[in-house]
Amino acid sequence: MAKVIDSFRPYVTWANPRGKWPDIIFSTRVRLARNLAGSAFPQRASAGTLRGIRETALEAVKATRLFARGHYFKTAALSPLEKNFLIERHHISHNLASLERAGAVAVNNEEDLAVMVNEEDHLRLQSIASGFSIPAAFEAVNKLDDELGRLLPYAYSGKFGFLTACPTNVGTGLRVSCLVHLPALSRSGQMPKLLESLSHLGMTARGIYGEGTYVLGDFYQISNATCLGHSEDEFCANLDRTITNLIRLEILSREKLAAPSVKLKTEDSVFRAYGLLKNARSISYGEFMQNLSLVRMGAAMGYPVRTDFGTLNQFTLLMQPAHLEHMSGRALGPDERDAARADYIRKNLN
Amino acid sequence: MLCQVCKKNAASVFLKVAVNNKMTEMHLCERCAAGKGASFAGFDVEPFNISGMTGNLSGYFKEFLPREKRTLHCRSCGLAYHEFKEAGFLGCPECYSSFEPQLTELLTRIHGNCGHTGKNCGASIVHPVVNGASPAARRSVSELKAALKKAVETEDFESAARLRDRIRELGENHG
Repeated sequence: MAKVIDSFRPYVTWANPRGKWPDIIFSTRVRLARNLAGSAFPQRASAGTLRGIRETALEAVKATRLFARGHYFKTAALSPLEKNFLIERHHISHNLASLERAGAVAVNNEEDLAVMVNEEDHLRLQSIASGFSIPAAFEAVNKLDDELGRLLPYAYSGKFGFLTACPTNVGTGLRVSCLVHLPALSRSGQMPKLLESLSHLGMTARGIYGEGTYVLGDFYQISNATCLGHSEDEFCANLDRTITNLIRLEILSREKLAAPSVKLKTEDSVFRAYGLLKNARSISYGEFMQNLSLVRMGAAMGYPVRTDFGTLNQFTLLMQPAHLEHMSGRALGPDERDAARADYIRKNLN
Repeated sequence: MLCQVCKKNAASVFLKVAVNNKMTEMHLCERCAAGKGASFAGFDVEPFNISGMTGNLSGYFKEFLPREKRTLHCRSCGLAYHEFKEAGFLGCPECYSSFEPQLTELLTRIHGNCGHTGKNCGASIVHPVVNGASPAARRSVSELKAALKKAVETEDFESAARLRDRIRELGENHG
């Protein structure tokens, strides 16, 4: 049905619970926005210019040898299902998938490095790592940037830094983000206040799929809101500090949920969620994530839920609509999809 | 302190506005403050409307950027400054030089600081020439110096002069 999807592994390694704090930090992503000197930004460039940039960019990416045995796709050649699959794997954005222009994406074999071509900027370089791994994720994307920078003439100014289509990205072009799982804090009612204080610290909170997306299963993507005026290291260190504080607050909230007065209620919620996942005959992705969040928290708090983070993390990826449809081998309507999801979970949850 | 909008009159009005959960401070003269719709004694104006600023960034740009006295265009891609204010996107890298004073002010507001202190881009050129950039224009200073040396050795003085000028230009920009 979809050759593109078949070329990917069924599981992604960055969803394995490695790195620091895997029970709270799902993954770390770092992206760099870059443009080529001498060409209009994608929104204003002609179709011919965009095609030229696409070819030049893909050629340069191949020449870095970091994408050996990698995947290279022109977005125009992708079916809606394939595009959704790549969105669900965080390799492309909703924006790139929806644009009718000469876009492309390159993904390395390990699926932890990707380059989007002709999205909002000519190039969006991205690295992704499991757990709380800001230095490792930055190092990986920085290496890719160094190599591409030797091959491509980046648009750069001594005053403003790396020049981008939207001035909110100019400077370092850096966005560091951690996908954090905050089930206890979400239940404590502190989230609205916490999100407000994050914005005062120059941080932004988004949903799982980035800008403009909903928060599902108490997963928040926390990232730097500004990227000019400080070095990459400073932005990374700033986010590292913020996330470390969030981890501390989440642990405190989990301890409160384990206090004798509320212990039974917490345990009941966790096992009810487990029972629902194990027995449901039809379940939407939203309901699945809501219950998975409780089971994941229960596993972290030491409850015998007979499952592990590795399985739960892979579930969050595999139970998304395009992944599910691909596993089923045929197009599914919404009801069929919810039934297929419940079926898969029942069979694969320990 | 001069008014941040007209940069002519003394600022006598201090405005503090919440935009996207952030407090933004503005120092304005009375005339510009009235233009922004702030309600002050002695001015018969509409109440200050912040809805256009809190919704999205393009609204933010539109409201806060100084009104240009004449229509500004990017000298390379032709983007009009008001188009950027509407959409929030610049047209090409050269827009940053064409609208430098306006962007300096805007970026200071967005990022709190407008000087890049991050990674250098050794292989890139500063404020690139957008149209008609020759391959030589895309080369780094060290590559250009090597080419200059070779041109002098082979007595290709026409190329050497061109390379010397380019190196000087890049050196100035880097400085």
